[in-house]
Amino acid sequence: MRLKRFLLRYYPPGIILEYEQHGNIKNKSIDLLDLKPETDIDAVMDEIMSKEPLITPSRLEQVRQLIQRLQEKLAQSDDHKFYLFKVLRAHILPLTNVAFNKSGSMFITGSYDRTCKVWETASGEELHTLEGHRNVVYAIAFNNPYGDKIATGSFDKTCKLWSSETGKCYHTFRGHTAEIVCISFNPQSTLVATGSMDTTAKLWDVQTGAEVSTLSGHSAEIISLSFNTTGDQIITGSFDHTVSVWDVRSGKRIHTLIGHRGEISSAQFNYDCSLIATGSMDKTCKIWDSSVGQCVGTLRGHDDEILDVVFDYTGQYVATASADSKYVSHKHSVNKTRTTHVDYTGQYLTFNPQGTKLLTASADKTARLWNPLTGECLQVLEGHTDEIFSCAFNYEGKTIITGSKDNTCRIWQ
Amino acid sequence: MGLLAILRKLKSAPDRELRILLLGLDNAGKTTLLKSLASEDISHITPTQGFNIKSVQSSGFKLNVWDIGGQRKIRPYWKNYFENTDILIYVIDSADRKRFEETGTELGELLDEEKLSGVPLLVFANKQDLFSAAPASTIAEGLNLHIIRDRIWQIQACSATNGEGVQDGMKWVLKNVKRCK
Repeated sequence: MRLKRFLLRYYPPGIILEYEQHGNIKNKSIDLLDLKPETDIDAVMDEIMSKEPLITPSRLEQVRQLIQRLQEKLAQSDDHKFYLFKVLRAHILPLTNVAFNKSGSMFITGSYDRTCKVWETASGEELHTLEGHRNVVYAIAFNNPYGDKIATGSFDKTCKLWSSETGKCYHTFRGHTAEIVCISFNPQSTLVATGSMDTTAKLWDVQTGAEVSTLSGHSAEIISLSFNTTGDQIITGSFDHTVSVWDVRSGKRIHTLIGHRGEISSAQFNYDCSLIATGSMDKTCKIWDSSVGQCVGTLRGHDDEILDVVFDYTGQYVATASADSKYVSHKHSVNKTRTTHVDYTGQYLTFNPQGTKLLTASADKTARLWNPLTGECLQVLEGHTDEIFSCAFNYEGKTIITGSKDNTCRIWQ
Repeated sequence: MGLLAILRKLKSAPDRELRILLLGLDNAGKTTLLKSLASEDISHITPTQGFNIKSVQSSGFKLNVWDIGGQRKIRPYWKNYFENTDILIYVIDSADRKRFEETGTELGELLDEEKLSGVPLLVFANKQDLFSAAPASTIAEGLNLHIIRDRIWQIQACSATNGEGVQDGMKWVLKNVKRCK
C-alpha cells in the first residue's frame, strides 16, 4: 500500500487518503467529526498516527497543514444573510421535492405536472425537462457526489434514470405495484433504491437497469429510506410503525426497530452510521444503536406528530419538526439530552452542511433559518404564495432552494 | 398539510374515511364549495393552480376532499388524483350556459375512466343564487345523466356561496357511501 495524495473534505471535516494497492487506486477517509477550531492539533495528529499506517512520519507536516485548514474553515464566522435571488415559474402545477447536485451548480425540481426539471443555479435557466412519467413526479435524487445521473420516482409506479447532462432517459424501472415515494442512490452510485406505497423497497442496478432485490417484510407503506455512509446498509421507515435495517448485498433484513406506537415519518443514519434517528406520528423521536438494533433513547417534547428528523454531521444533534408549532433540536448522547424548543410549525427540515444553521419549510408559506443551539430565528424567507413543501442547502451552505405548492421554486443567496 | 400528509391521504382510506374528488371546469365554484364545506371564509378565492385538500368531519365520517384546479391546460392532470376515489363530485356553473357543452364533454370523459368506474357521482348544479341559473333538471337532461347505468348518481341544485343545497348533497354522499363501504 502506497499513499498517493491527500484530498481535503470540509463538510463533514475529514482527510481522504488516495492510495495504491496491487496496482489499484483506492480511497479511504479519516473522519474528524469532532474537530473544533480550538482542538489541540497535536492530540489529533497522535491519534491519526496511531490508527493509520498509511501516514508515515514524512507526511506529518502535510497532515498538520490540512488539519489547520479544516480548523480555519470551521472558525469562519457564518453571518451570511440570504436574499431572494430568483423566482422560477418552474411548473404548471405544484412542486414536490427539490435537490442539489454536490457542487450546487445544478438543481432539480419534481412536480404534479409529471415532469422533473433540471436548472442551472447561477442563471436560473432551465437546462432540461425530464418528461415521460404518467403521473406525479414525487421523489427525486442526484447521484452525488458524481452528479451525472438523476433518478425520479413517480406515482405512476415507475422509477426512471436520466443523464443530468443530456436529459436522456437511460432506464425505466418497473415492478412496484403502487406509488414510489422515496428514492436514493447508494454512495457508490451503482444502485438506486426505491420505496413504495406497495410496502416494499427495491434495489436496481444503475448500469444494467435490472432489479437487484426486493426488500419485503413491512406490512404497510414505506415512506422513507436512506443508505448509510458506506452503502452496505439501508433503512426503510414504514407506516407499519417500524423501521427495518437491511443488508444491501444480500437484501436480507438485519434488524427491525420496534418501539414506536405510530406511523414512521422519517428515518436517518448519522454520518458515522453508529446511530439511527426515527420520527413518528406517536409524537416521539427515538435514537437506536444501529449495530444491535436497540433503542438507546426516546426524545419527547412534542405535543403532536413528528414529521421530520435530521442529524447534524457530528451525530450529536437531532432536530425534529412537528405539527405542534415547535421544532426541537436535541443534543443527544446516550445518557443526557438537552433540548432547544422553538414555537414554530415546520414540516420539513435540514441542517446546512456546516451544522450551524437549521432550515425549516412550512405551511405558513415561509422558510426559516434557525440557530440550532439557541433556537434563535436568524431569518425568515418570505415570498411564496402557498405552502412550502421542500427546501435544500447547497454544499457550501450559501444557496437555498425552496419548492412550493404555488408552482414556483425560489433561489435564495 | 405538507407532502407527508398528502401521502397519508393517498392510502386507501380506512372504513370511516372517504376520499372525495371535486372536479369541474374552471370557475365552477369547486374551491368555494370546499371552503364552505369546511366552514371557512369564501370572500377571497382565486383560480386554483394546483389542488386544495381539506378534511371535514360529518356523521362520524372523515371526508378528505380534494379540490382540483379546472383550467383547460391543467385538466389533463386530473388523472393524477383518480386513485382510491370513493365519491366523484362534479361541479357545474349553472349560469354559464355557453359552457354546458364543454362541461358535458369533460364529464363524459371522466365517466369513461377505468380508475373511476363504478364510483358514485354527485353533480352539483351550482350558483343557483344567480338569476340566470338553469334548473338542475335542465342540466341533468343536457348532460344525459339518465343514461348512466354503471354507477349511482344524483344531481343536486346548490349555491356554494349561500350554502343552500350543499348539505343535501353531502347527505346523499354519506348515505350512498355507507352502502358501498
